[in-house]
Amino acid sequence: MSAPALVIRGLVVRDRQGHGLVRGVDLTLPAGGILTLIGETGSGKSLIAQAVMGLLPDELRAEGAISVAGREAEAGDKPALRRLWATHTMVLPQEPSAALDPTMRLLSQLAETAGKTNATSALDAVELSGAAARAWPHALSGGMAQRGLAAMALVSNAPLLVADEPTKGLDDERVGIAIRLLASLRDRGKALLAITHDLRVARGLGSAVAVIRDGVIVEQGSAEAVLSTPTHAYTRAWLEAEPARWPPRPRSAAAQHPVLVCEQVGFGYTPRERLAERVSLSLRPGEIVGLCGVSGRGKTTLGNVLLGLHRPHAGTVKWIGGADPYADPPAQRRLRRQYQKLHQDPVRAFVPFRSLARQFADLKPVLPPRALSDRLPELLDRVRIKPSLLARKPAEISGGEAQRLAIVRLLLLEPRVIVADEPTSRLDPIVQREVIELLTELARTRNLGLILISHDQALLDAVTDGELLL
Amino acid sequence: MSEIARSVADTVRTGQRLPWAGPALILAVVLIMILGPRVWPVSPTAQNLLDTLAGPSLAHPLGTDHIGRDILARVVHGAPLSLGFALLVVAIGAAIGVVLGLVAAERGGLIDILIMRFTDLMLAFPGVLLALLFAGFMGGGMVPLFVALTITLWPQFARMARAIALQTLAEPHVEASRLAGLPPAAILARQVLPPVLQQTVVLAAFSVGGTILTISSLGFLGLGMQPPTPEWGAMITELLPYIHQAPLQLAAPCLCIFVTVLAFMLGGEAFARRAMRGEHAP
Amino acid sequence: MIARTVARAILARLIQAILVALALSTLCFIFIYILPGDMALRVAVGRFGLEQLSRDMVESVRRETFIEAPLAGQYFAWLGNVFTGNLGYSLVSNRSVVSELWRAGANTFTLALIGWALSYAVAIPFGIWAGLRPGGIVDRVTAGLSAAIASLPSFLIGIILIWIFSVSLGWLPPAGNRGPHYLILPAATLGIGLSALSVRVIRNAVSATNDAFFVTYSQIRGLSPGRAFVRHVLRNASTPIATFAALQFAMLLDGFVVVETLFNYPGLGDMLVKALVSRDVPIIMGGALLIGYLYAAVSLVSDLVCLWLDPRQLEGARS
Repeated sequence: MSAPALVIRGLVVRDRQGHGLVRGVDLTLPAGGILTLIGETGSGKSLIAQAVMGLLPDELRAEGAISVAGREAEAGDKPALRRLWATHTMVLPQEPSAALDPTMRLLSQLAETAGKTNATSALDAVELSGAAARAWPHALSGGMAQRGLAAMALVSNAPLLVADEPTKGLDDERVGIAIRLLASLRDRGKALLAITHDLRVARGLGSAVAVIRDGVIVEQGSAEAVLSTPTHAYTRAWLEAEPARWPPRPRSAAAQHPVLVCEQVGFGYTPRERLAERVSLSLRPGEIVGLCGVSGRGKTTLGNVLLGLHRPHAGTVKWIGGADPYADPPAQRRLRRQYQKLHQDPVRAFVPFRSLARQFADLKPVLPPRALSDRLPELLDRVRIKPSLLARKPAEISGGEAQRLAIVRLLLLEPRVIVADEPTSRLDPIVQREVIELLTELARTRNLGLILISHDQALLDAVTDGELLL
Repeated sequence: MSEIARSVADTVRTGQRLPWAGPALILAVVLIMILGPRVWPVSPTAQNLLDTLAGPSLAHPLGTDHIGRDILARVVHGAPLSLGFALLVVAIGAAIGVVLGLVAAERGGLIDILIMRFTDLMLAFPGVLLALLFAGFMGGGMVPLFVALTITLWPQFARMARAIALQTLAEPHVEASRLAGLPPAAILARQVLPPVLQQTVVLAAFSVGGTILTISSLGFLGLGMQPPTPEWGAMITELLPYIHQAPLQLAAPCLCIFVTVLAFMLGGEAFARRAMRGEHAP
Repeated sequence: MIARTVARAILARLIQAILVALALSTLCFIFIYILPGDMALRVAVGRFGLEQLSRDMVESVRRETFIEAPLAGQYFAWLGNVFTGNLGYSLVSNRSVVSELWRAGANTFTLALIGWALSYAVAIPFGIWAGLRPGGIVDRVTAGLSAAIASLPSFLIGIILIWIFSVSLGWLPPAGNRGPHYLILPAATLGIGLSALSVRVIRNAVSATNDAFFVTYSQIRGLSPGRAFVRHVLRNASTPIATFAALQFAMLLDGFVVVETLFNYPGLGDMLVKALVSRDVPIIMGGALLIGYLYAAVSLVSDLVCLWLDPRQLEGARS
């Protein structure tokens, strides 16, 4: 009976002011086992991973006991934890681009700790051989880099592998690949601690699951138990935030005139770099159309083409009344307000150094008189944001709050069409559900046309009336 | 000098114990430049051959030089020549550069290419060489010096302004404002200009220091402002032969250059650090 | 792909060199022929000395240098000379410009090389130390010292060194070039001035690279801190440092003109200043051109080194 791969007892992490960011966490991971730790941003899940590796930022203090494959160390003893690197602990990093030295070929980086033979066979095992093995990091595709990092985990002899957000920002198909890679690493005898907000990882890996909220573990147990019959309300909310679980949405009925049409549109970054050809779609009031596809295929660009921001090199775009924003500048100016966009990174959609209240005030010239004073308070109330939040600057609010404020800004402009470009991909699942529900309800009650761009097929299936695949 | 700005701007880690030291020193130095001649109304050119190389006294707190002129008065009157002149050069150079950089970023296309090629060419020119040639051929007065220094300075501001403007224009908040229908001038003023101005202040501070160094070097070589104008570098050349008899007199203009340039270097660092922390000076 | 990127870099710098040469030549032409001031008189003073001057001498100089011929024709003759390397003869010493440049250039080259080497000998160890321990005592002291030194014009650094080593201690000679020990003070002056800025650039490059995740990750994989430093930090930190080296040449320029004058060291800077004072046009032209070309050459070397160090740019990829 070998020692458990990881035992955490009484882990507490405090910041400078003494606030507990992680408050008394106990976890056990048996040798060769899997534990998926699920939590939102700010729940403390990443801090646990950093604490185990001895990589907590200097301003945080840790207490508690950490034991890896029988080797004990105090959580606050960073040098001791660092001595466990490579022999006991290993990391599967989030971002391949940040983890690889850009000036060194992939094989060389692997070989520097493992020797050339081991490195080559590990790369073969993840199907990166020959030219790919000798490639520079920037020449590797996202998927290849992911496999490269898995190879690095393979050559390591450490019994414990910590994977922090292994599926962050990945398309659906790459999520599947990532989960399979993780499972295969476990098959080679490594114990796996996966930290994520993505339930698919928990489901795909199975075994054991723990749910963390505000620095405290609220539920843990076997994956089957927790994921099908959760006992804690928070876990239930989490599970219900999955789009597949959402109640079906009443489809819009009326056959009205479309508010947005594009016919046989072709576009690209430059005339030579073409992204897509002969794309057509039409959008009616109250309708929700999904735009999906792997990243890089032009979803955002198509959104910009529809909004009159990016001229297509072929085909036509028509707004309400048949107006072509590219051929008819006065019409574009007249109708500008009615075609709006929700951005992927809502915090950056606001001016960084200006208070939010002032930014809303800046909109006065383009709004009907007294729109701000009359409608802003009720809109804020509708999205459940306190007016006092407006005194802050964008960096001082959360992603969910920023996206809701962005929606308020849009509504003030009274649009007919909203193009939502991955509006929730940076948000936690529970917040995502709120925002999507808000958007769909607005589409229904105010008869807005909504184009929803996303790489999350389940989300689109749950919510849209039709989809376009790029 | 822009490289220093860039490289120093990267030092976010090293906290300064006294972050206000630089800007405070700048203020002090500028005040002295403005008020100096009024507070010490002695003539910097009045000679007194009976009282040469005198030590410090009540009438001459810093002593007199080799032809009896009061050192304190000369140093104080030299301030506008080095500092004031440098401030003017940098102000004009920065204005030209920032405007050109913004135009290039905003218009794009052919205008952008033209402006950038021109800027690149100017940057390829060794600036000191230009100053030397101008000063040497046109006799070292203030006008040729001004032209040469400004010509070397504006390309750096142009390149910086364009880079920051391009970066900001690609941000979602600019797109959101355009979508809302806000007028381009308002977007430029409220969203693009502030980060550009913030970096301009940093670059300007370092440029003032660098320009003062160039002015005094040219003065030292005899190619800058000509005697009897009490420019600090020229003063040093005049007093250098008397380094044994009158070290204090020689030290005075040296210290002036040092303190003034240091003030702007420290100030520049403080502004850079503030910019790095993401705060914006309104 | 690699060959194309390299060829593009070389071509860009070549064009730059030609344009700079063109601009410099035109500028000098404008100064000499269009601006007021009696050129011939100045040259004659330079050649014969003020006391010996006579009207005939001035007139002979005037005829000799064609100062009165029509402008357009002169401009093209001027350009033609510049680009065929016919730089003529010094109006003061009558020796060929090329030989004068060669002599002075060799002296300056020695001085610059030693000064540059000295600056890196100081800047590299301290820069790396400060970069690996940002906020530590070494970092703070070097930051303070480099700010102070950077606030001094190079001639002041020289004066201070002269005061300490020549006047007070009497160890080293203050001027001239009659032996290798005459190089010490000028080279030290240059080196100190350069190192003040190099130390900061090196420190920042090392600190930024050290913070990069791939360095930590290499240690997580099992590399010792020492090996991680050598294999990852040094290589990546070298790129910004190499870029800076080209800019150092510009600063070196300002440095050696002043330092050579202060120490009476017969190099390019000293020659250029004297030529400017005496309006020795061919020498001015030759010196300016040489400096312009050198600047382009140094920039080219720096570009190529950067390409070599960073494979992303080597393959023309967008970085």
